[in-house]
Amino acid sequence: MELIRLERAVIGYRTPLLPPIDLALRAGTTLAVLGPNGAGKTALLKSLLGLLPLQGGRRTLPQGRSPRVGYVPQRDRLDMSWPLTVLQVVLMGRVRLVGPMKRYGARDRAAARAALQEIGVGDLADRPLFALSGGQHQKVLIARAIAAEPELLVLDEPTSAMDPAAERIFLDLVARLKSAHNLSVVLVTHQLTAIPGFATDVALVDRERAVFEVGPAEQMIDPQKLGQLYGREVRVAKVGDKTAIVIGNGAPQ
Amino acid sequence: MSGFADFWAGRDLWREPMIAGVLAGAILGYIGVFVVLKRMVFVSAALSEISGVGVAFAFWLGAVMGIDPHAHGATPLLLEPTWFSLLFACAAAALFSLQPGHRKLATETIVGLGYIISSALVLTILNSPRIAQEAHAIGDILFGNAVTVPRQQIRALFGAGVVAVIGHALFFKELLFVSYDRETAVVQGVGVFRYELLLNLITALVISVATRAVGALPVFAFSVIPAAAALMIAERMRLAIFLSVLFGVVSAAVGYYVSWVEQLPTGATMVVVASVFLVPGLLKILRRSSV
Repeated sequence: MELIRLERAVIGYRTPLLPPIDLALRAGTTLAVLGPNGAGKTALLKSLLGLLPLQGGRRTLPQGRSPRVGYVPQRDRLDMSWPLTVLQVVLMGRVRLVGPMKRYGARDRAAARAALQEIGVGDLADRPLFALSGGQHQKVLIARAIAAEPELLVLDEPTSAMDPAAERIFLDLVARLKSAHNLSVVLVTHQLTAIPGFATDVALVDRERAVFEVGPAEQMIDPQKLGQLYGREVRVAKVGDKTAIVIGNGAPQ
Repeated sequence: MSGFADFWAGRDLWREPMIAGVLAGAILGYIGVFVVLKRMVFVSAALSEISGVGVAFAFWLGAVMGIDPHAHGATPLLLEPTWFSLLFACAAAALFSLQPGHRKLATETIVGLGYIISSALVLTILNSPRIAQEAHAIGDILFGNAVTVPRQQIRALFGAGVVAVIGHALFFKELLFVSYDRETAVVQGVGVFRYELLLNLITALVISVATRAVGALPVFAFSVIPAAAALMIAERMRLAIFLSVLFGVVSAAVGYYVSWVEQLPTGATMVVVASVFLVPGLLKILRRSSV
């Protein structure tokens, strides 16, 4: 079942950023949108979510409605100095569900606390936002997305400030949430290391080289394709049952 | 007679301006929390200035139409400066809510242009020979030295406060969400433009009515200083709002009293008193940064 489909979609702000693209976001999949900084990943994401009008082609909703979206922004875009508690931030995920001119009810508070509990930070609910570490803040933003009861979880560069170990723990958490809530996931990232073992589908994006290619992860994690995308030699190796990606200094093979 | 006794004896003279100042301090103290947190301080300065253009323009238009503002009952309702102040401020608020999405014309630039152009317009209109007689009165209104406030303006200010409180009470969670994290609110399908417009219109309404009643300088100050002072010491939203309103009210009342006793300009004295509330927060920040 498809949630969103782009057909011959021309994306861009005033001029096209990429060649016309076909992309179907299927239920239960994890789509990684991969490309270097400034590649047009955010424009693609906005077009997919219907926030950026297409320059051409069309966006269709096979279910006849937009999926409910839980969104995790880059955490450094948010101001930690607001005098808000963690619970107040997580409750924001419920704004659309509650509807205008109504206050949060006991059910909303319970859902927000349950989301925090599920992410493993239930004890932070009444803490002020400014007292959180970067990692805790990230988890709070995921809890807010889960509190929105989403069908589609969208993560925008969530691991850009993380070391490899923290990145893996984070991605494992998202994988667990995906399975527990029967979610579809879109992950926007410039980090190659985030993809193997996590994404089921990968879209490679680079506006400078006019590249857009999408396919199953096992086909897209290819030294040649990735090398072309990053303009560097890329090696892909199997280490046990895991896939490792190494970026070299040389030109792409 | 002591200062306070003298002040008390003159209560029939200061009652209305004092009420207007305290009301403005309270309402702007509340609105100011959003203004400061959303980093839209300059929007409030621009709205204050633009509503001032509305006041000056109303006088200028009256002079062009040959209406003597000193003649009792001569000003038609439609030439009432409050309407022009409101109209100009609301139009600017709607303009500021637009996201032009153009890096060469960011919202910040539009706000800056609004401020600069309106400042120039106020000066131009004030120096127009057509309104030479009214220039002093307009200057008082714009720069906050008004010592008499008609009851009609107090009612207007009270009405603006009621609208602000109702608007915020009904849509508080939406206003908080779009103010704190616009991007996520957009993705989650919350009507961001609608709520930003509502927030800006409420701010414009309060600022334009308050500007007419107590002047542009204290209005700008009350929309920034009490909230900034409260946010430096409060760690919870409710406490920040409560303190900001309290600081606004006390600044207006004490400022008016001091200006009366010491014969100082009213608006400027209120601002100086409000600034005192910044001290605890600044000390707190200094203490933290020295650890």
